[in-house]
Amino acid sequence: MMITSVVESWIEEPVRRFVDETGVELALLLHPSGQVLAQHGFARAVDVMTACALAAGIHATSGELGRLVDDKPFRGLHHAGMTRQIFLAEARSPRGAYIFLTVFGQESSIGLVRLYFDELVAGLAVAAPPEGPAPAPALAEHFERDLNRNLAVLFGRA
Amino acid sequence: MNSPFTSMLQTLSRQRGVTAALVVSERDGIVIDSNLHIGQKGDRVAALAASLYRKARLSAQAAGMGAVSFMQLEAPNGRLCAVGAGELVLVVVGSPVVNVGLVRVELLRSVVELAAIAEGRPA
Repeated sequence: MMITSVVESWIEEPVRRFVDETGVELALLLHPSGQVLAQHGFARAVDVMTACALAAGIHATSGELGRLVDDKPFRGLHHAGMTRQIFLAEARSPRGAYIFLTVFGQESSIGLVRLYFDELVAGLAVAAPPEGPAPAPALAEHFERDLNRNLAVLFGRA
Repeated sequence: MNSPFTSMLQTLSRQRGVTAALVVSERDGIVIDSNLHIGQKGDRVAALAASLYRKARLSAQAAGMGAVSFMQLEAPNGRLCAVGAGELVLVVVGSPVVNVGLVRVELLRSVVELAAIAEGRPA
C-alpha cells in the first residue's frame, strides 16, 4: 500500500480522497516556489525534491507562455505518454495558490483526474483553516532549510 | 455543428426517459459528443461511465467471458446503459421510466456504426 503524507494536517483528507477515487500512482501538492506540502506514492525524498523543482519550473514556464499568447497564464497541463500520463494544474485555496502534480497509468483516466481535481480544490477550500499566518514568501536563504524540514515530515524523519 | 455521432445520439435521445446520450473515449473518459438534457453533468457522467465500462470489460476478459456486449447499471433514480467499440463507449442515462429493452436494441444497432467510425470505415 502506498503512503500519502502531508506537511499540514488539513491537506490530508482532500489529497487522500483524490488518490483513493482516481487510483493515481503519484501525487504531489506543492507551493509555487517548489516547497512540498503533500505527497503520495514517492519512496524517496530525493524524487520528491526533483519532481517539485520540475513541477514548479513547468508551472512557471507554462504560466508565462500563457500570458504571452493568451494574456493569461495557462492553469493546467496534461501530457499523455505511452503508459503513463501527467496532469499538472494550479489548485487555488484560501491559503493561496498551490501546484498539483499527478502521474497516472491505465488504471485511471484524464477524465477522472480532472473530475476529482475539481473536488480536490473544493475540498481544500473547505478544509483550509479560517485563520492563520499567510504563507511566508520563500526566501532563498530559507528555501533549503524549509524544503528539508518538509521532506523530513513527509518521510517520517522529523 | 454535426459530428459523425449526431444522428445516433439524436435517435437515442428520442427514446422515452432518456436524459443523456454520450460518446466517450474509453481511455480518457472525455466526452467526444453528447446530447444532454438540462441539468445533466456530461463531463462527470462521461469520466465515471467510461471508467466503469473499462473495468467491466477487463473483468469480463479476466473471467474468460469474452467481450462486453452491453452493460446496464440500475440505481433507485435511473438507469445507465453502455456499449463499446474500439476506443469509443456509447453511454445512455435514463430515468426510471426508460424502456431499457428499446434502449438496448437501439444501442446494439448503433454500436455497429460506432465500430465503423472507430475503425475509420464508412458507417
